[in-house]
Amino acid sequence: MNSVSPSSAQYVQPADSPEGRRRRDLHSGHFGHGPAGGADGGREGSGEMDEVDRLKTKLMSAWNNVKYGWSVKSKTVFNKTSPLYLLGQSYVFNNEDEVERFSLAFASRLWLTYRKDFPPLGGSALTSDCGWGCMLRSGQMLLAQGLLTHLLPPGWHWAESPHLTDVDFEILHPRSPSLSRGSQTPPPVGHALQRRSVQEGGDSPAEALHRRLVGWFGDDPASPFGLHRLVELGRSSGKRAGDWYGPSVVAHILRKAVAVTTEVEDMAVYVAQDCTVYKEDVVRLCESSPRWKSVIILVPVRLGGESLNPSYVQCVKNILKLQCCIGIIGGKPKHSLFFIGFQDEQLLYLDPHYCQPAVDVTQGNFSLESFHCNSPRKMGVGRMDPSCTIGFYARSKKDFETLCSAVGGVSALSSSKEKYPIFTFVEGGAHDYGQEDAPPQILPSSHRLGHSGADEFVLL
Amino acid sequence: MPPFERTQHPKPFKQRKSFATRQQEVAGIRMKFPTKIPVIIERYQREKYLPLLDKTKFLVPQELTMTQFVTIIRNRMTLMPSQAFYLLLNNSGIASMSLTMAQVYKEHKDDDGFLYMTYASQEMFGQSD
Repeated sequence: MNSVSPSSAQYVQPADSPEGRRRRDLHSGHFGHGPAGGADGGREGSGEMDEVDRLKTKLMSAWNNVKYGWSVKSKTVFNKTSPLYLLGQSYVFNNEDEVERFSLAFASRLWLTYRKDFPPLGGSALTSDCGWGCMLRSGQMLLAQGLLTHLLPPGWHWAESPHLTDVDFEILHPRSPSLSRGSQTPPPVGHALQRRSVQEGGDSPAEALHRRLVGWFGDDPASPFGLHRLVELGRSSGKRAGDWYGPSVVAHILRKAVAVTTEVEDMAVYVAQDCTVYKEDVVRLCESSPRWKSVIILVPVRLGGESLNPSYVQCVKNILKLQCCIGIIGGKPKHSLFFIGFQDEQLLYLDPHYCQPAVDVTQGNFSLESFHCNSPRKMGVGRMDPSCTIGFYARSKKDFETLCSAVGGVSALSSSKEKYPIFTFVEGGAHDYGQEDAPPQILPSSHRLGHSGADEFVLL
Repeated sequence: MPPFERTQHPKPFKQRKSFATRQQEVAGIRMKFPTKIPVIIERYQREKYLPLLDKTKFLVPQELTMTQFVTIIRNRMTLMPSQAFYLLLNNSGIASMSLTMAQVYKEHKDDDGFLYMTYASQEMFGQSD
C-alpha cells in the first residue's frame, strides 16, 4: 500500500471485502470517528449484531494502529481554563461534570456525512455523494440543528449518545509517557458500552421526534431534506448531482426545501441578500400563516478575498457565542465543515468527509448511531475559508427582536479596528431598496464619458 | 464546474498605470465632477462564476449607499438576486451595506485618489479526502 490516504481507497473497495473493511477501519483509526463509522450503518433490526460489529470494528481499528504504528490519530486537546463555546453554551473543562455535559451536547448534534449505496440521484446514475456533496451535508447539519432547536425540548440530549473518543481534556488526563503513545494503545472497548443506561431513551416522545427528524435527512428520494431532494432543488440554481456547491447556493436550497415540505409547517427559512437582513421581509414570511412561524435566518457572506480577513475573527467568535446562532456552514478551502463553536483561536466543527453506507430510514428501527459523531475536532480559525453562511434561529416574534439586537449589537459585528460589519439588519423590505425579484435590467441613467474605449469612466 | 470566463485584463488597473497617471486621472475627473466618487471595480482574480464587467472605472454619486451601488452593479451583470455577489474593499473586507459612498471613500480611498473594489461570488466546496 503506497498511499496513506484512506479515503481514496474506501470509495473503490467493495464494502464487504476484507480489504475494504480493513481500509475502512484504518480510516476510522485515522480520523477517529470510531464506532459511528463502523459497518453497522446499513444494518437494522439486530441490536446485538450491531454491538458485536462495533466491537469488531474497534478491535480491528486498534489492531491496525498497532500494526502500522500510526501516530497520525491525533487527539483533540481541550484547554482546561478557557471556555469552550458550543452553539451558544459555554463549558469550562475543570471538572468531570463539565466534560460530561459537553460530551452529551456534542454527541447529540446530528452528524450528516457522505454516504454510498443509496438510490440513484435524479438525472444521474450516482449512488454516492462521496467527493462532492460535503457542502450539502454541512447544510443538512445546519438545518438539522435548527430543527432540533425548534422541535425538541430545550437542553434535550440523546440518551444513547456515544462516549467521546480521541479527546484529551488536560485536567483529567495529564500528559504522561504512556498517554503520549495513546494512539497505539487499544481503547478500553467496554467503556462506551457500559456508559449511561438507556432507560431514559427509547420510547419517550422526544426520542420518537429525534428519530423522525433523522429520518427527514435519510438518503431516500422521499425524505424532505435528504440529498435527493436537495439536489433536485438545486437544479434551478444550475447545480446538478456531482457538482460542487457553495454555502450561498445551499442556503437557498434549504429555504426551498423547508418551503415545499408539509412536515414542518410552523417554520420558515429566510436567506439574506447582499449581507442584509430586511426585517420587514422576515416578519412578512413569519406572518404568512395564522400562527407566527419560527424562522431560520441564513446569511451568506464572504469574509475576505483569498483568505479570511483577520479583522473578522473576533466577529465569527462573537457570533458563535450567541444562543440564537445554530452554526456556520463553510470550511477550509474546498473542504466543507459545519462550525458549531470555538475554544481560544480554534473552531470546533463536524466534518462530513466520512463515507458511510446509506441507512434505510424507512425501516422503523433503523440505527441512529451513524448520525452522531463522537469525535470533536478543531482547527485554527485563520484557516477558515472566507465563503460561508451563518445560521440563526428565532422561535417567536420576541425571539426575532432579541436576535436582531443581539446580532446587530456592536459587540457581535464590529471588530475593534475596522468598520466592516459582516452583515446588517435594516428596517423595511428589500423592495424599499430597489431589490425586487424583478428581472434585472441595465439602468438607463448610466452613460459614458470621454473617449470611447475600455478606459472611460461610467457615470452613474 | 463552469469553465473560466474570459480572463480579465492581463493586469489589474493599478499595475497597468503608474501612480502619477492614476493621480492625474483622479484630479482631472474630480475637477469636472466634484460630487462623484471615482471607483475602480475589478473582478477577483480567482473568480470563476461571475461575468467580467464591461467597464472598470465608475463615477458614483457620493450619497449612494453601498446597497444601491451593489444593486446597480448586479444589474449591469444581470445577476439573479439569489446569486452570491460581494464587493470587497481593497480585496479584503466587505463594506457595511448601509454606508454611503462618501463614507466608504473617506475611510478606504487609495493614495492615488481612487476607491478600489473587487467583486467575487463564493467558493465552492467538494473534496474526497
